Amino acid sequence: MNTALLLVVLVAVAYAAAHIAFQWLGRHLLIVSGAEYLLLGILLGPSVSGLVSAESLRAFLPFMTLALGWMGAMVGMRLYLPGMVRLRGVFYRVAIVQSLVTLVGVTAAALLMFRGIFGVTADYALVPSLVLGAIATCSAQDAVQFIIQRLGRSSVVVRQMEVAVGMDSVIGIVTVGVVLCFNHVAAPTLPRSPTPVEWMVISAALGVIGGMLFHLFLGEERDPDRLFISLGGAIVFMTGAATFLQLSPILPGMLMGVILVNTSRNRREIEEALHRVERPLYFVLLLCGGALWSPGRSAWLIPVLGFLAARWFFKVAGARVAARFNGMLPVLGPNWGRALLGQGGIALAIGFNYLSENNAFFPNIVFTAAVASVLLTDAFSARLMRHAVDASPWQRTSGEAVVVRATEPVGPEPRIDAVERG
Amino acid sequence: MRRIIILLLLLGVMQLISLVAPFGGAGRSLLVFGFLILAAYSVGELAKQLHLPKIVGYLAAGVVFGPNALNVVRAEAVTNLAPVSDLAIALIAFLAGAELEWGELRRRGLALLRLTGAELAVTFVAIFCVLVLLREWVPFLAGLNWTTVLTFSALFASIAIVHSPAVTMALLTETGARGPLARTTLGVVLLADVVVVIVFSSVLTLARVLVPSGTGGVGTVVSIAWEIGGAIPIGAALGVVVAAYLRFVRAELFLFAILVTFFGLEISRLLHVETLLMLIVTGFVAETLAPGNMGEALRRAMERSAAPVFVVFFALAGAKIDVSLLLQVWPLVIPIALARVAGIWGGTRLGARWARIPPEEGRLVWMGLVSQAGVAIGLVTVAGNAYPAAGGDMRTMLLSVIAVNETVGAILFRRALLKAGEVNGTNAKAPEQALAEPEPAPG
Repeated sequence: MNTALLLVVLVAVAYAAAHIAFQWLGRHLLIVSGAEYLLLGILLGPSVSGLVSAESLRAFLPFMTLALGWMGAMVGMRLYLPGMVRLRGVFYRVAIVQSLVTLVGVTAAALLMFRGIFGVTADYALVPSLVLGAIATCSAQDAVQFIIQRLGRSSVVVRQMEVAVGMDSVIGIVTVGVVLCFNHVAAPTLPRSPTPVEWMVISAALGVIGGMLFHLFLGEERDPDRLFISLGGAIVFMTGAATFLQLSPILPGMLMGVILVNTSRNRREIEEALHRVERPLYFVLLLCGGALWSPGRSAWLIPVLGFLAARWFFKVAGARVAARFNGMLPVLGPNWGRALLGQGGIALAIGFNYLSENNAFFPNIVFTAAVASVLLTDAFSARLMRHAVDASPWQRTSGEAVVVRATEPVGPEPRIDAVERG
Repeated sequence: MRRIIILLLLLGVMQLISLVAPFGGAGRSLLVFGFLILAAYSVGELAKQLHLPKIVGYLAAGVVFGPNALNVVRAEAVTNLAPVSDLAIALIAFLAGAELEWGELRRRGLALLRLTGAELAVTFVAIFCVLVLLREWVPFLAGLNWTTVLTFSALFASIAIVHSPAVTMALLTETGARGPLARTTLGVVLLADVVVVIVFSSVLTLARVLVPSGTGGVGTVVSIAWEIGGAIPIGAALGVVVAAYLRFVRAELFLFAILVTFFGLEISRLLHVETLLMLIVTGFVAETLAPGNMGEALRRAMERSAAPVFVVFFALAGAKIDVSLLLQVWPLVIPIALARVAGIWGGTRLGARWARIPPEEGRLVWMGLVSQAGVAIGLVTVAGNAYPAAGGDMRTMLLSVIAVNETVGAILFRRALLKAGEVNGTNAKAPEQALAEPEPAPG
C-alpha cells in the first residue's frame, strides 16, 4: 500500500478513534488523548514494523516543522497580559521557582550522566543536557485545559497549575530557543558569522516580523477567511524562516502569539483559527514523531531512565520548595508537583526540534527521552492533576474547590481568599 | 500603500534570510510557501484595486517573483511545492462537484450538453483550421505530410479546447457569484472537462492508427478509458463515505475536508484514475447525499482551508510562465488564442440558441470559458509521451497559449459576472456599483 495513503488513512482512523473512544475515556476516566498516536507512529515506523519508510516520512517534514511554529504560537496566545496582571505575583513566583529548579536540576543530572556514561567533556554535554532540562520543564497543556473544563478556574490549586504549566512551556521554549542560538553553525555566506546574541535577536525579530505582517495584512478587516490567510501566511513564513536559519521555530512562534494576543482586537477569532489547525498538525507531529523515533546504537536506556527519574524528582521537589518559600504549601500541599509530571505536545515538539538540528549532540537520546516521557505520562496527565487537586489540604478540609475572591493585597503569609486581585 | 509596504517587507526579509542562512535546504519550501501566501495575496489585492480579478494578481506575483524574473521563488522551490498544486486541484474538483445540484442537472442537463457540445465542436474546428493554415510556421507541423499535419492539428486542437475549472471556481469563490450565468459557466466547464478527455482519447487512438509512433499502443488507450470510466464509480464510492461521515460524525469538518482531498488524491494515484473527474463526482455525490445543510458546512470548511492553497496554486502557475519563451512564440500564439476565443464565442452563440438558453446569458457565457490551466498540461504530457518528437514543441506552444488564456480568461469571466449583475460576495462590489464604474479593456 502507498505509504502516503497509509499515513492519511492512519491520521483519519486515529482521529476518529480519538473522537469516539478517547472522548468517552476522557469523560469517564480522565485520559488525555495523544500518546496513542505516538505509539502508533513508533509501531509503524522504520524502527519497529517498517510499514512507513523513512523516505515517505520526509514528505511530512514540512508539516511537522509547521506544527512547531503553530504550537509555539498557541503557547504565546495564552500570555494575555491584561489577564495575567490580574493574578497575584505569588502564583508566578511559585511557577517560576518550580520551573527553574526542574530546569537546573535535570540539566545538572543529564550533564553528569552524559559525562559519566559517554566520557564526553562538559562543553560537549552541555547542549543536550540543557535541551533535556527544557524538555523536563514542560508539562501537559491539554491536561490542565481538561481540568479547567471540569472544575473551572475557581480553585487555587487549579489556578496555580494553569500558571505553572504555562510558565513551564515558556521557560522550556525560551531555553531551547537560546540554546540553539549558542549551538548555531557558522553562516558561510557572511564575512563574519552572527554571534549567539545576534542569533537570539534574529530569532526574536522573526516573531516580531510575523506579528507585524499579520497586522499589516489584516488591517481593519474582520473577515474570517482573510484572518485565516493572514494568520496562516504569517506563521508559515515565520516558521519557514526560522527553520531555514536553523533556529528553533517554537520561540519566534511563541513571540508572535504574544504579539497577536496582546495587540489584536480579534484575539478570540485568532485563537479559534489557531486551535482549528493546531490539532491536525499536532496529530501529524505525534504520528510522524513516533515513526521517526530511532534510538540508534548508543546506550540510550540508562540516560533515558535517568532523565525520567531526575525529572520526577526535581518536578516534585521543585514544586514543594517553590510552594514552601512562597507560603503556599498549606494550600497546595507537599505533593502538588505531581500534577506537573504529565508531558504532552510541547515536550515532544522541543525533542523533535532538537532532532532536526544539523549540529546536535546525542539527538536520538534527547528525542527518545522526550518520546518516553510523553508515552508514560501524557495519557494520565489529567488524572495526576485531578489527584493533586483532591489531595490539596484546603480541598480536603473544605470538601470543595476554594473560591478565589477579589480582596485585599497579600500580606507576609498569603491568605487563601486573597490570591487573586480584581 | 499598505500592500506595497508588505511586499517590500517580505522581499527585504527574504533577501536578509538568504544572506544569513547557514546552509539552507530544510525549511526553504515552507518559507517560500509562506512568502507566496502573503506576497501573492497582496498583489491579488492590488489587482482588485485595478478592477482585475485577484487571480490575475496571484499569477502576476508568480511571474514577478518566480525563476524567470526576480528569482525569489526558485525553480527547485516550484518543484518542491508541487504537492500544493495537487492539493489545490483536488480541492477545486471537490468544490466544483459540490456546486452541482442534482435537481439542476436533471432540469438543465440537456441544455448544458447542447451548449457544451456546440461550443467544443466549433472551437475544435477553429483551432484545427488555424493550425492547418499556419502549418509551415508551426514547429511541430512544419515540413510534414498532410496526414500527419491533420492528425497533429486534431490532437493539439482536442487539448486546446479544454477550459479551467480552477479559474472558474476561484472566480466564483472570489466574487460569491451564484447566479444563472455563474451556474451555466460552471456546468459547461465541468461537463467540457469530461467530454474533452473522451475526445482527446478518441483522437489519440485515431492518431496512433494514422501516424504510428512506435511508443505505447492499445494499452495506452485502455488505460485512458480506465482513467475516465474508473473515476466515476470510485469517486461515487468516496462520496458515499463522505456523506456517511456528514450524517453520523459531523465533527471537525476543517480537518475532514483536508483529509478527504489528500485521500482522494492518493486513491486516484494508486488506482490510476482521473483525479479531477473522480473528485468532481465525490463532491457531487457527497453534496447530494449529505443530510440537511451539512454539505454546505463541508463546502464552507473546504473553501476556508482552500483559500491559502488557491493563492499559492495560482502563484506557482504564474512562476511557471516563461515570459522569454512566450515572447519567442507570440506570433503563433496570438492567432491560435484568437481562433480559440472566436470559436468559443461562435460555439456558445450557436449552442445557446440550440439549448434555448436566455439570450442575455447566452451572450455572456463565452467570456467564462476562455480560461485554461492544469488539465491541458496533463493532456499534452500524454500526447508528448505518445509522440516524443512533436510532443516537446506541442507542449511549448500550448503552455504559451495557456499563459495568455489563463490571464485574459480570468479578466473576461469577472467582467461577464459583473455585467450579469451576479457579483454579490462580501469581497465584491455591488452589481449596480460595479456596472456604474468604468471597466478596464479585456486583456
